Order: sequence, then structure tokens, then C-alpha cells
Amino acid sequence: MTEFLTGAVGLILAILALGLVSILRGPGDADRMMAAQLIGTAGIAVLLLLGAVTGVPTAVDVALILALLATFASIAFVKKGLSRLDTDGPG
Amino acid sequence: MSIATLFEIVLAAVVLGLAIWTITVSETYSAAVGFVAYGLLVALIWVRLDAVDVAMTEAAIGGGLGGIVLLGAAARLRESEAMTAERPGRVVRLCAAALSASIAMVLAVAVLILPDPAPTLAPTVISNAGATGLANPVTNVLMAFRAMDTMLEKVVLMLAIVGVWSLASDQAWGGRPGPRHEADPNGVLAFLARLTPPAGIVIGIYLLWTGADHPGGAFQGGAVLASMWLLVIMAGLADTPPVSSRSLRLILVAGPGVFLVVGLGGLCFGPAFLAYPVAFAKPLILGIEVAMTLTIAATLALLLAGAPERSATR
Repeated sequence: MTEFLTGAVGLILAILALGLVSILRGPGDADRMMAAQLIGTAGIAVLLLLGAVTGVPTAVDVALILALLATFASIAFVKKGLSRLDTDGPG
Repeated sequence: MSIATLFEIVLAAVVLGLAIWTITVSETYSAAVGFVAYGLLVALIWVRLDAVDVAMTEAAIGGGLGGIVLLGAAARLRESEAMTAERPGRVVRLCAAALSASIAMVLAVAVLILPDPAPTLAPTVISNAGATGLANPVTNVLMAFRAMDTMLEKVVLMLAIVGVWSLASDQAWGGRPGPRHEADPNGVLAFLARLTPPAGIVIGIYLLWTGADHPGGAFQGGAVLASMWLLVIMAGLADTPPVSSRSLRLILVAGPGVFLVVGLGGLCFGPAFLAYPVAFAKPLILGIEVAMTLTIAATLALLLAGAPERSATR
């Protein structure tokens, strides 16, 4: 079971790295922000799996905080960037 | 090579790559987004290093609340950045690079010449854990063994909020911080702001409570509560309180105030400033932490809300 979970962590890390490529390439701010959100979600999954694999149950609490707070950057993005997105069109 | 080592190498490589990109990218806004993602990933590293308390703080501040500040500042700078076409000259940039590299080198050397094992007080902390009745060594250090530092840190938070408020213009003094947020009352943001806070408030209180025996504590709980309050404010469901409000100011001084009263009690009735009587150590520490959580939540939220901008009556 542990091997399977560790493999799952590896898979999610690979997806996370793909999200990183998207942050680096862009091209638009919205693409970067969505990639940061993907990294946040992947981070939650990695934390939950790590907690199970390594026997650190408190990793779940960190995942809880991430789940509550990772959305905040995108809320700030939407609120601050809304007027600009309207004038620039999508992207 | 074990799978765990492979995981660590991949994680370190990803974080390093993201850090370098965040430094080198020319646009401030992209750098801010990169830094938010960096904060999320560094939380993973702290968990891997068994520093779960630090991971929680990093997730709450680096990945969450800090992101709001940075993205807001980057959005505000964006217009002026486009106008200033001049860039620092080649010599200035080379000097800055050399300075940064030498500081990084000094830090690396300092880490490398540390004796192995590094000097540590961890065994002393573990052996004295029974004195307070708390099982979490981090809370023991923060609230008992180095309580003075924690108290002064709360005073610094208060100074920070005074600093932000002092940016207000004379007409706006005593008014409400930040702009009045408008959002579609039937939109996604308002829905999120109605759905999340009930769960978030429970999690915030849970983090405070679990901090006695497991990773967590007043700062993490306060940060979660602050973010829930900010969410409701940003969705336009509630307004920021006017800074002249007496109850608000009472909450802002509650944490350091209770801390100071308990500390003076130790001076009057016990051996030293901030000396807790052994029989009441845990209830006293919990009482201070509850007051501190309220103060931290209010302070962090108001720091992010900004200086007073509107008169209280509007």
C-alpha cells in the first residue's frame, strides 16, 4: 500500500511540475494564476498522501490550511485585475 | 536510492527552479504569482523536515495572506512600471548581482561550518515539557520558555497596525479602512464567502486548541480567522469597522494586554516576570493564547485592509 501511495505522490509531483512549466511560460497573467492554483491543489494532495505514507497525521492540518487559504491569491487576482481583464479581453 | 530521497530531490529542484525564475522574471506581477506558488511549495518542504508548525505558518502567510498583499501591490505598481522606461545601468546590475551572490555564499559557508551535531537546546526543552502541562514543544518554547519574545512580537504587530493607520489622510482618520468592496450578491465570490467561513472558523479554533499538544497555535489559528473575515469583507457582505471603534481597539490590545497582566502577576506573586505558577500554567497559557488569537486575527485582517480611507458614517 505504501508503495502505491508513494507512486501516487510521484505522479502528483509530476503534474505539479507541469503546472510549474505553465507558470514559467505564461503567456497571460490568468494562465499563471491558474497554474498557481493547480500547484496549491496538488500541494494539498501531496500533503495528505505524505501524511499517510510517513505517518505524520498533522500534515492533514497543513492541508486544511492550504485548502482554506490557497484560493485567496486568486480572489485577490480577480478583484485587482478585473478592470484590466475587461479592457484587455481574455488572456 | 530510495523513493523518499527521490521525492526530496525532485521537490528541491522544483522549488529552486521556481525561486530562480521568480527572481529573474522582469515583470513584478508574474514574480508575485511565482512567489505565491513558491510559498505553497515551501510548506511541503517544511512538512518533509518535520517542522509542521512552520509549515502551517508558511501555508497561511506565504501561500495565503501574503499573496493578497503582493498581488495588490503588483497590480498597483503596474501602471507606473509601464511608464518608467529607464532600467538600472549595467554596472549597477552587476554590483547588485555580486552583492547578492556574496551574501548567499557567506550564508552557505556559515551553514557548512556549523559543528555536527549543531548546538541545540532541544533536549532541555523536551525534558522540561512537564513544567507547563503542554505536549507541543513549539508552544512550550513560544509561550513559556521564551514568552518574553512572543509578548514583544505581539507589541510589534500593534506597532505595525499603527504604522499602516498613520498613512491615513486627516479627513479619513477614524474612518473605515480600504475601499468598500462591491460584488455580485449572487456571484461565485459571495457564494464562497457564505460557504467557507463556517468551516474556516471551526478550523481556526481547532488550530488554536490543538496547539497545546500538536502542531498549531495562536498564530496559525488567528491567520485562518483573519482570512475568513477578509473573505467576507472582499465579497462585500460586511464592511471593515471604523478604526475609531472602541471594541475594535480593545481587541487589538487584548493579546499583549493579557500577556502583560499575567507577566506582572508573575512578578508580584511569583519569582519573576512571566513566571507561571506550576498549578495554573496551562489555563494561564490557554487564556493568553485565546486573547492573542483574537488580536492576531484582527491585526492581520486590518493590516491587509489598509489605511482608513472613508469616513465612518458613509
